[in-house]
Amino acid sequence: MAVFVVVANTSDIPDSGSLLVEVEDRLIVLIRAAGHFYALDDVCTHDGGPLSNGPVDAEEGSIACPRHGAKFDIKTGVAVTMPATQATISHEVKIEGDQVFVRLVDG
Amino acid sequence: MSATLVNTGFTAEAFAAFMAARDEPDWLVDMRSSAFDTFSGLDLPTRSEEEWMRTDIRLLKLDRYALTANSPSDSAAPEALLAAGVELAGRSVSVNSQPVEGGLAEKWAKQGVLFGSLDALVESHANRIRPYFERQLIRTDQDKFSALNAAFWSGGTLLLVPRGVQVDQPLHSLSVMTDGGIDLGKTLVILEEGAEATFMAETASSAVGDGGLHCGSIELIAEKGARLRYVNLQNWGSQVWHFAQQMGHVGEKANLQWTIGALGSRLAKVNQHVALTGQDAEAQVNGVIFSQGKQHLCYNTHQHHMAPFCQSDLLYKGALQDHSRSVWRGMIKVDNVAQRTNAYQRNDNLMLTASARADSIPGLEIEADDVRCTHGSTSGRVDDAQLFYAMTRGYTRQEAVRMIVNGFFQQVFDRITIESVREALGEAIGQRVRDL
Repeated sequence: MAVFVVVANTSDIPDSGSLLVEVEDRLIVLIRAAGHFYALDDVCTHDGGPLSNGPVDAEEGSIACPRHGAKFDIKTGVAVTMPATQATISHEVKIEGDQVFVRLVDG
Repeated sequence: MSATLVNTGFTAEAFAAFMAARDEPDWLVDMRSSAFDTFSGLDLPTRSEEEWMRTDIRLLKLDRYALTANSPSDSAAPEALLAAGVELAGRSVSVNSQPVEGGLAEKWAKQGVLFGSLDALVESHANRIRPYFERQLIRTDQDKFSALNAAFWSGGTLLLVPRGVQVDQPLHSLSVMTDGGIDLGKTLVILEEGAEATFMAETASSAVGDGGLHCGSIELIAEKGARLRYVNLQNWGSQVWHFAQQMGHVGEKANLQWTIGALGSRLAKVNQHVALTGQDAEAQVNGVIFSQGKQHLCYNTHQHHMAPFCQSDLLYKGALQDHSRSVWRGMIKVDNVAQRTNAYQRNDNLMLTASARADSIPGLEIEADDVRCTHGSTSGRVDDAQLFYAMTRGYTRQEAVRMIVNGFFQQVFDRITIESVREALGEAIGQRVRDL
């Protein structure tokens, strides 16, 4: 089973922003919204493009794919608007001090 | 020629050391130097480019790879799949781009056939080979990988069949990579006017789960009236990055049958381009793809009709399981002089799991007004009714799935005229298919 690994400092990610990190040979987009941190696979399930440059909507709790505008729930990875219909993978996050830890969920 | 090196990455220092270890003619040194300049000036492709939009290479760390000075181990070579039971005219084996063994039957050598390590033959037969190098069928500036291969290619294979010589036994090459290794092979096949040959090339890693970097190129030249059957089986380890530029050049009344098998690698990005350059040229392109795990296999094919009365026929079939993904982008390009072209392209995909994904993107670009150009694409799952029927006849579920998968590929197997290739591909795919 995967373990928690340090991926960033909390100050690396602006509020309502995101940061692309590499975790165990996998690209993860770290998201900070309303003081909370989330981690998703950096994959839009619509066409496989990256989410990491997409806008974060903290109020709505979503991140949008910059290509075609599909939105994903930042907590669960569920696709909330077309053209994506399948969830992207959501990973576990914990904060200790000012460090952000991620544990990968297989998939 | 000797292979010694060297530094991490593909820096100017690494290139200088690479060149210092070689004894090549000036014209080749100039070509490599120019290519290195191109390489240095290019960035890695990004997903903002149409060709790379579906292929993510952000995890590739090019500077972690370097040509190695280590002598390859004979024990590293796995068993060749394509040559089982075949009497060969010649064979060539390399490990990490360094030739380790090979030879050509005297019968063919006496007739002027050249076959073996391109490294060695370009030094010993420089003037003979130079005109073909200078054609530069593959653009060095296509992307950073094509420039990398043009600057640093090593090992590789040459087959040159002189005018009128018909080699009636297959030739075979095996390129092997060890874990974390690198292969920058270049294959150059030249059939002069009226020549005939069958060449089976395969690539493999020492073990199934190995990683590494392959950045290769293939140039096939069939001159007037020549007939070439070329088979390329890609069976790298599951963590290998595989980049290749492949170009076939089919002259007047020449015939090229080109079969690719794509089984291995972590990520493959291959451009396969066939140019029909002389009147009445013919090309048949066959593709067999099987992906599994998290493999990403991307094949861009291009059928370029540059002369009238030519035919091209492309059939790619792929089966995907687990979370794997395939991307096929096909283009038929017909120049305005290429009247009476007859061109076809088709891609079929069989999805063995719901989490697999196949992108199939056929395209036509036609400037002539008297042509027949058609294309098709299908993607679907295994039919439950077929499975049920087979199981009512006593097959287990897995046997039934394998049978259906084999049946799916039969259409392309029927086009492959080399029995050992059909059997090797069928066997390799059968071993990979799991229960649905």
